Amino acid sequence: MLTLRIAFRNILRQKRRSLLTGLSMTGGYMLFVFAYSLLEGSYGNIIDIFTLDNTGHIQVHKEDYLDKPKIYKSVQDRATVESTLSDHPKVKSFTPRVFSPALAYGTDKTAPSRVIGVDTETEPTVSRLREKVSEGNYFSTAPDADGYYEAMIGHGLATSLKIGVADEIVLISQGADGSIANDIFVVAAIIGNRTSFDRMAVYLPLATAQEFLAMGGDVHEYAMLIDHRDNSRRVADELAGFLPDLTVSPWEEVQATFYRTMQSDRQGNNFMMGLIVFIVFIGVLNTVLMSVLERTREFGVLRAIGARPASLIRLITLETSILATISVLLGMVLIAPMVYWLSQVGFLVPEPIDMGGIEFQHMKGEFSLQVFLTPMMFMLVTAILISIPPGIRAARILPKEAMGAH
Amino acid sequence: MTNVIETKNLLRKFGSDETEIIALNKVSVEIEKGEFTAIIGPSGSGKTTLLHLIGGLDEPDDGSVFLSGANIAEMSGNELSDFRRDHIGFIFQAYNLIPVLSAQENIEYIMLLQGVPAAERKSRVGDMLNLVGLEGLGDRRPAHLSGGQQQRVAVARAMASQPDIILADEPTANLDSKTGIALLDVMRELNEKQNMTFVFSTHDQKIMDRATRLIHLEDGAIEKDERK
Repeated sequence: MLTLRIAFRNILRQKRRSLLTGLSMTGGYMLFVFAYSLLEGSYGNIIDIFTLDNTGHIQVHKEDYLDKPKIYKSVQDRATVESTLSDHPKVKSFTPRVFSPALAYGTDKTAPSRVIGVDTETEPTVSRLREKVSEGNYFSTAPDADGYYEAMIGHGLATSLKIGVADEIVLISQGADGSIANDIFVVAAIIGNRTSFDRMAVYLPLATAQEFLAMGGDVHEYAMLIDHRDNSRRVADELAGFLPDLTVSPWEEVQATFYRTMQSDRQGNNFMMGLIVFIVFIGVLNTVLMSVLERTREFGVLRAIGARPASLIRLITLETSILATISVLLGMVLIAPMVYWLSQVGFLVPEPIDMGGIEFQHMKGEFSLQVFLTPMMFMLVTAILISIPPGIRAARILPKEAMGAH
Repeated sequence: MTNVIETKNLLRKFGSDETEIIALNKVSVEIEKGEFTAIIGPSGSGKTTLLHLIGGLDEPDDGSVFLSGANIAEMSGNELSDFRRDHIGFIFQAYNLIPVLSAQENIEYIMLLQGVPAAERKSRVGDMLNLVGLEGLGDRRPAHLSGGQQQRVAVARAMASQPDIILADEPTANLDSKTGIALLDVMRELNEKQNMTFVFSTHDQKIMDRATRLIHLEDGAIEKDERK
């Protein structure tokens, strides 16, 4: 308690200097939190775009389907998978899918495409497929009056084939049993735009796609959403325990390239924020060093009466930590409303940003404990580290020489 | 009687080559428990150097110092700090109190370093303030105390750790005659009542008059050692 009192009084000894040092730390903390919130918010938005557009938070496949997709690598025991996913408390929704490459014909044009069979009911609970309909209507599972099933095609494919809603499209592919798959479908809707990842896709109702590809009731993939994207690895591990014959992959593995890019981008940003803190703490270091220099005689006296060198290092560290804590708490009070505003309203960008057919108009931040605590811990740890060299300097003061200092 | 301080052939030089000065030259001295000793001599005779070496604030170039039977040259940095804390009390010419602490906190701090429980610290602080005649002034910071009062706090601080020896470097040099005498009377009383060992380095005749032993230093060597 007495040591704490000494530390406090030493901070108050040079009020103006402590105030300026504290304010520089407060400013550094606020800048850190704001940038961190904006970055995490942006990453969160981008991850949501990826996961909600197509990937989901977790996917289940047969063996190495994700790396080497083959039509015969399908999930057959669907009942077990679906009951496992239904029973897991963290899984909010899931949907089955089938995939196959196909050659698409429309009018007198051909183009390569990718058939994606989706459950028309459950797919919108996992992805934004319904919202991505740019022309026409979300498809139904029933055939039309002529017996043709509906398909939704990507914007790019529609442009290549020069077809639109209500036109016919012919697909040729290979069935799972080795047979030639070919059929005529009616375009019910155009999906996304020319930048969408699925611009060359042909969406079919699941049962239609399974029949077209001779897959019986099998599917290639289950995609799901869980309570929060940050839990994806943990939930994937838990599900893998229940589904030993299948491969359960979190979105970080499904979108490995994006995830690695994001991580390296995050490291770069962390480095920049670390640099801001470093610059702030150079000033702090200077202040602490000046304080030690001014108190040379006192430290000499403390050493003479029996204070161990380590206790002087502790005292200096305590003083810096107290100042940093007060500064950070002040910064937290000041920045919290701003970060809350950033998370709720955010910046309105002049032109909407198109991300795969989904338009975003707001750059929003993240308002979470992590956004406040990570910079706080970073600042406090840096404060402690930065106070160690001056502390060592104080600890090395020789009592005899300090007695002569003024 | 037991020797609480024993120096053997202490040699201490400053500077090098042509500028070398021998501050202490093979000084051997033994001080018994309860002595009220004054080390006297002209400026530059080595008084303060001897006091610093005895207190472990400086290291000799040769020779050794034994305090309460322990050779301080063989102690590590932390052991020496602990030894000073537990066995030696210091009183400095310039008082050297911690300015951000009140009088009672200055006295308490050394006990905090010793790990004395809070309740006992408070009790001992009260006793010390009474002993040096500063009742009611414990809450004042050094800046609000006179020189004499500050030196009394320094004496109380030196006493608070219940050391074997108190080393005082010109303790009355910055005090007026009346205050100096009052402070010396306090220290003499402590010496007589509690059998505490005091070693002074001084020019002050008042201290010499009250000392039970005078060690005369001249050019770094003991010229005369007289017990009264």
